[in-house]
Parts: sequence; structure tokens; C-alpha cells
Amino acid sequence: MNWSSKNSIRLSRLCVVLFGAAALAILASAPWLVEALVAFSPIPLENRAGSLLMVTLYTGGVPALYILWQLWRLLENIQGGQVFIPQNVGLLRRISWGCAVGAVICLASGLYYLPFLVIAACGAFMALIVRVVKNVFQQAVLLQEDADYTI
Amino acid sequence: MPIVVNLDVMMAKRKISAGDLAARIGITPANLSILKNNKARAVRFSTLEALCRELDCQPADLLEYVPEE
Repeated sequence: MNWSSKNSIRLSRLCVVLFGAAALAILASAPWLVEALVAFSPIPLENRAGSLLMVTLYTGGVPALYILWQLWRLLENIQGGQVFIPQNVGLLRRISWGCAVGAVICLASGLYYLPFLVIAACGAFMALIVRVVKNVFQQAVLLQEDADYTI
Repeated sequence: MPIVVNLDVMMAKRKISAGDLAARIGITPANLSILKNNKARAVRFSTLEALCRELDCQPADLLEYVPEE
């Protein structure tokens, strides 16, 4: 199969759409999901855990959808051939902060349901990775400008 | 930038248009405009060589150091 970078970006955009659809489906079916989790959870949950889980899902859904929107815009720019531009640095910064916000929400949720602490650690680590990628892009933008103005 | 490109002076002396010079040295008129308007961050030796060849001048005729105040 002849796999080009264009197809790779298309696949990434498809994945963003699928994740977005999954996030919306989870948010739409949150009451039933929470009910099932409370009923079948291997870890005993408090009485008010159901409503707290709902709060976690809905507040966590905001940064999740925001990150996906920023990713969509980033991929749109990359597909248009605009890779090392200041706008992409801003998008990566926002994605990183979105991961950090998600990590904080999960950290707070870990107070009533411990497995959320694992997701919080993953979110914080992801925020760090994206932040480093953002720093690389920032330097790449400067190099690109130097290259553009070298005649 | 304390380095000033006196390309427009040399072009006027040799009575050559920007489009013509750009075509002769093999760069786009847009890039020649960047060079002429002192917006360039660096000049390749190959570009400088082509400019000197076409304008029949020395690099010192094109580049000048003007200390910043």
C-alpha cells in the first residue's frame, strides 16, 4: 500500500473525529454509564459517588473536547503546509494546558475514586510531553523564519 | 540590523530592473525585494556571487556596515 504523509494526516484527523464522537457519546450517556460503574465497580463506592462521577465526567468533558478541537485545527494547518508557524505553537500550548486541566480534575476526583489518580498522572505526563513539543515548535518557528529570510 | 544592503544604488547605477536582475541571478522577485529592502537575515555566498557577477561589482559595493546608535 502506498502510504503518503497526506494519508497519515487524514488518518489522524479521522482519529480526532472518532475520539470526539466517543467523547460526545460518553457525555450523552453519562447517567447510564455512571449507574453501571457504581453497580459493577470492583472498588466499593460511597453513596454520593454517583453524582460525583457525573460531575467528573461533565467537567472533564470540557477540556477533552477543547483539546480535540485544538488538535483538529493543528492538523488542518499541517495539512495546509503550515507547520512551523506561531499559531501552531499557540495551539500546542493550549493542548498542553487542556491536559493539565484534565489532570487537575482527575486529581480532585481521586479523592473519592482512587483509579482517577492514574488518569491524573497520565494527563499530567501528557501535558509535559506536549509542552516539550511546543518548545521544539517554538525554536523551529525561529529557524523557519531564518530560512525564509536567507536569500 | 547594522548591515545595510545597497542593492538599489547598484541597480540604479547599472540601470537594471528588479525583475530582470531576479531572473538573471535565479531568485524570485519577492526574495530580491526582501534583499533590497534590508529585510534579509542572511545572504548566501552563491547569491552574493551571482549579484556581483551580474552587477559587475564587489561584495563591498553591495554591503555596508552602519553602526547602530
